[in-house]
Amino acid sequence: MDFLRPTSWRDALEAKAHHPDATPIAGGTDVMVEINFDHRRPTSLLDLTGIDELASWSEHGGKLRIGAGLPYTRLIDELGDRLPGLAIAARTVGSPQIRNRGTLGGNLASASPAGDGHPPLLASGAEVEVESVRGTRLLPVEEFFTGVKRHALASDELISAVHIAPATGAQQFSKIGTRNAMVIAVCTFAIALHPERQRVGTGLGSAAPTPLRAIEAEEFLSGELADSGQWDSPRPLDDSVVRQFGDLVARAASPIDDVRSTADYRTHALGVMARRTLGWVWDEYRNHPSSTGRPECA
Amino acid sequence: MTAIPTTPGTEPELGRARKRKEDARLITGSTRWTDNMALPGMLHLAVLRSPIAHARIASIDADEARRMSGVQAVLTGRDLADEQGSLPCAWPITEDMKSPQAPPMAVDEVHFAGEVVAVVAARSAAEARDALDAIDVDYEDLPVVLDMESALADDSPLVHSDLGTNRNATWTFDSAEAGTGGDVEQALADAEVRVERTFRQQRLIPAFMEPRSVVVDPTGEQFTMWSATQVPHILRTMLAMTLGVPEQKIRVIAPDVGGGFGGKLQVTPEEVITFLLARRLGRPVKWTESRSETMVSAHHGRDQVQKLALSARRDGTVTGLKVELLADMGAYLRLVSPGVPILGALMFNSIYKFPAYHFTCTNVFTNKTPTDAYRGAGRPEATFAIERMMDELAAELDMDPLELRRKNWIGRDEFPFTTIAGLTYDSGDYEAATDRALELFGYRQLREEQARRREQGDTVQLGIGVSTFTEMCGLAPSRVLGSLSYGAGGWEHAQIRVLPTGKVEVVTGVSPHGQGHVTAWSQIVAERLGVPFDDVEVLHGDTQSSPRGLDTYGSRSLAVGGVAAVHAADKVIEKAKTIAAHLLECSEDDLEFSGGRFGVRGTDQGTGLADVALAAFAAHDLPEGIEPNLDAEASFDPENFSFPHGTHLCATEVDTETGAVRIRSYVCVDDVGTVVNPLIVEGQVHGGLAQGIAQALYEEAVHDEDGTLTTATFADYLVPSAADLPEFTTDRTETRATSNPLGVKGVGEAGTIASTPAVVNAVVDALRPLGVDDVEMPCSPQRVWRAITGTRTSSDTAAEAGGGLGSMDTGGGFAAGSQGGSR
Ligand SMILES: Cc1cc2nc3c(=O)[nH]c(=O)nc-3n(C[C@H](O)[C@H](O)[C@H](O)COP(=O)(O)OP(=O)(O)OC[C@H]3O[C@@H](n4cnc5c(N)ncnc54)[C@H](O)[C@@H]3O)c2cc1C
Repeated sequence: MDFLRPTSWRDALEAKAHHPDATPIAGGTDVMVEINFDHRRPTSLLDLTGIDELASWSEHGGKLRIGAGLPYTRLIDELGDRLPGLAIAARTVGSPQIRNRGTLGGNLASASPAGDGHPPLLASGAEVEVESVRGTRLLPVEEFFTGVKRHALASDELISAVHIAPATGAQQFSKIGTRNAMVIAVCTFAIALHPERQRVGTGLGSAAPTPLRAIEAEEFLSGELADSGQWDSPRPLDDSVVRQFGDLVARAASPIDDVRSTADYRTHALGVMARRTLGWVWDEYRNHPSSTGRPECA
Repeated sequence: MTAIPTTPGTEPELGRARKRKEDARLITGSTRWTDNMALPGMLHLAVLRSPIAHARIASIDADEARRMSGVQAVLTGRDLADEQGSLPCAWPITEDMKSPQAPPMAVDEVHFAGEVVAVVAARSAAEARDALDAIDVDYEDLPVVLDMESALADDSPLVHSDLGTNRNATWTFDSAEAGTGGDVEQALADAEVRVERTFRQQRLIPAFMEPRSVVVDPTGEQFTMWSATQVPHILRTMLAMTLGVPEQKIRVIAPDVGGGFGGKLQVTPEEVITFLLARRLGRPVKWTESRSETMVSAHHGRDQVQKLALSARRDGTVTGLKVELLADMGAYLRLVSPGVPILGALMFNSIYKFPAYHFTCTNVFTNKTPTDAYRGAGRPEATFAIERMMDELAAELDMDPLELRRKNWIGRDEFPFTTIAGLTYDSGDYEAATDRALELFGYRQLREEQARRREQGDTVQLGIGVSTFTEMCGLAPSRVLGSLSYGAGGWEHAQIRVLPTGKVEVVTGVSPHGQGHVTAWSQIVAERLGVPFDDVEVLHGDTQSSPRGLDTYGSRSLAVGGVAAVHAADKVIEKAKTIAAHLLECSEDDLEFSGGRFGVRGTDQGTGLADVALAAFAAHDLPEGIEPNLDAEASFDPENFSFPHGTHLCATEVDTETGAVRIRSYVCVDDVGTVVNPLIVEGQVHGGLAQGIAQALYEEAVHDEDGTLTTATFADYLVPSAADLPEFTTDRTETRATSNPLGVKGVGEAGTIASTPAVVNAVVDALRPLGVDDVEMPCSPQRVWRAITGTRTSSDTAAEAGGGLGSMDTGGGFAAGSQGGSR
């Protein structure tokens, strides 16, 4: 097995262009498990941990650009206040050891329907920056996932970063698992309020072949809130609205029975999580409409 | 009687919360795990295991593997067939018990996925492992037997066709027949109230931390085996008997051993195979397993279906208990497999005064990993069933579950009490433990909160679970073991050597693997002999330095082995006294021993134990017929089991929408008799609780329809972490055991035995107003939700794995295994 260890991003892209079947390795928390279980026998590994810039983040034009190699621990510490939804999700990943090594880039490229990083990215409308020697593309995160463990990367491309706007309203993430730590989600749900756009974002995990948004639920709730003028003078939500939102989220799912859960439990649990997280974010919004960065006078 | 020696102003050793002597070394990594061992010329063994649960081995082609770099030998079961013998089962529970041949390495057929089919010995562990991939085994599939009930049907395929049945044995106890009580059928027929339930004890895996490892060195006069085992003495004898090797030519050493929980109470296929390979190749050989090998091939635990019927009067007085068990042996009988459910047979009646009792257990073969002892072995199953039944009866009668128990338990003034199962409980005080637990728990306030939440229809309901348990441990009176057809006795041995400098060596026949015996034995002997704690060295786990013993399991070490040490110490004092009297020119009757000193009564004359030891060593002036040392040994065979008991109370919050269970508070008050070291007891209780709660909420070994274990990693087999467990509130009451001079009872298994029903009772209690009267273990969010929505059927959700990494063959990593939403 070849082991390629570029020290600059340029070299990494060159290496990937020359060895399109090289397996990139960042934290290795997915790759090494697969190698261990002999589910993957890479001819060569392309180690991305020598590239400092990949593990950094920056801010441009009101958006954060998070390097694909930034470990969860740093993401939580350094960006947790501005990306609360993503930070809640990141805190539920594995264990401290896994969070010290695991990265958002690895989570994306694994493209597991159960990846905990995905729902908050969906709820926030994040974009994935992918790059090759041929150039750079920016993909909306929902276009990045193309199937179970499949994504939109060409064989010479690497993920360079994720672009995401800092929260402008309350965000939440909820996960059901069979144990409190070190567990793959039975299902997950993320919600983000975007008061400046008067929109609600959602993301569902372990609910379908790919992570997905509950678009109907988003439309419904955004419409309800706008029609009733709730963004400007928020009031407690009607039970019927909350219930309808939960039902629409559950309906967006097309889960299966597998070792961790039956489909009907997943569908049910998604509805429950949707109702609860909506309750939490809306309470927060009502009590502190501007605390998470919402412009004072829009 | 020897006076309890204490130096004024110093804390007595017994009862002192000393930190463990052995920990500094273990924590800093200066350890001697078996896998750390490296001997000159040592070869490494890798084991090829059957991925198929039941098949005929048509052929094995190992030619390519033999040619691979570093490979010294590749052997199959056929190669070893003439010398490998059959793995021992030391507990033939009935005379007509069916025992299959249990070759360490499969010869013609494999009977469970994980069974050894070939081994490679190579220069390095990696080369051995790589060569496994080059071995080509051709299997012809045979029908797989997995479910116990269908295994017993007449038309079931057979696990072992030569046995003609999947039934291993049926063992029965009946109080009317035994003359200990009445007829259960009559009691059930006359019942004013009758409760019938079927519970499932899921299959568990004793997830010890250190994987198993064996090194065998054949190059000396003796074969020396280092093994990560709980039972070096038993292992030595069994190796000799199984392989026909003269016993004196085998030395077994259990160096530092990292946990066992019964999982290392075994004579394993790999130990025998490693021995045979070392003998054949004339070189040291080492085998160390991977975690996944542990999961598929080390013995599993529990796995019973329990059918119970309980009769009572309207006022709550219990009148009869009938227990019918099916116990899954897996594919073979290991060391004590058939006896594990029998260890629970005499415990279903627990602390209650049942006037009629019937127990019957049928052991069944299936194509799964063999089961055997796992922390509590038989007693957790019994305790779970009876404590669940008592809560069900309370619900049926609309009585407080603790009131019901009070009405039926053995009162503090009724000890010693002979139970319906024929055991005599020597001591106990259920009232005291329960009263203390209620106080710590805030029982009344919690019941009030529960009522409030029920009234308000809260999404999160509160449940309170009770478990007032007892168990029998301190294995065991040899006479009783004999009457249960067990293959050995239950005594224990100790030797004390007083060195010329006055320092002391204690040799014990028990074999610690994490329990802190070195510290506890030092305290016991320091107290008894009046020597400083640090002057005591404890030797164990090597059949050469500790030639006699029966090792560690069944919460026996202190209650049996510790007591042997006390007796040995008393003999030392007796021996020393004769010499001291001689030196002091007085009569022995004038001497009193206290604080390590023999004093002449009524004078300030005296001499210390160290001086006597030196005088004995010099031997210049000893009384006639006295040997020149103070050493003594003693074997102790207890007259009775020890019966720790306690009251465990658990409050759970159950989310009725998601099914998630959170333990809000957990209180236990245990009575383990006299305590030698409260810190160690606390550690045993905490660990025990964790494992008992794990059965209630998290762990389950799941097989798919082909008999493949789908929970073969710790991502799937959900051992809880600190994040899953509550703070424990623990306390103790102390009722001395009357069966030993220390007054101690066992504590190693108590927490595990008591806690599982407390938790499940709490989950069910939370949901009872919703019409739920049982939730199958482990009570995962999904199972709880199913119970609430009434869609529960006993086996539909049984095949639920925890995490999702999947077995070694399916899925792959969190990424591939977690196709949560895919079709
Ligand atoms: C014990 C344990 C617990 C876990 N718990 C969780 C959990 O709770 N939730 C969860 O979501 N996940 C969990 N995981 C999975 C894993 O930790 C995450 O998916 C993590 O985000 C992977 O990141 P990584 O950097 O380690 O990826 P790697 O293993 O290095 O790579 C993963 C995949 O991404 C590719 N890749 C990596 N970087 C790039 C790049 N820049 N461009 C293109 N391709 C790239 C690799 O080739 C590989 O296919 C767990 C894993 C383990 C071992």
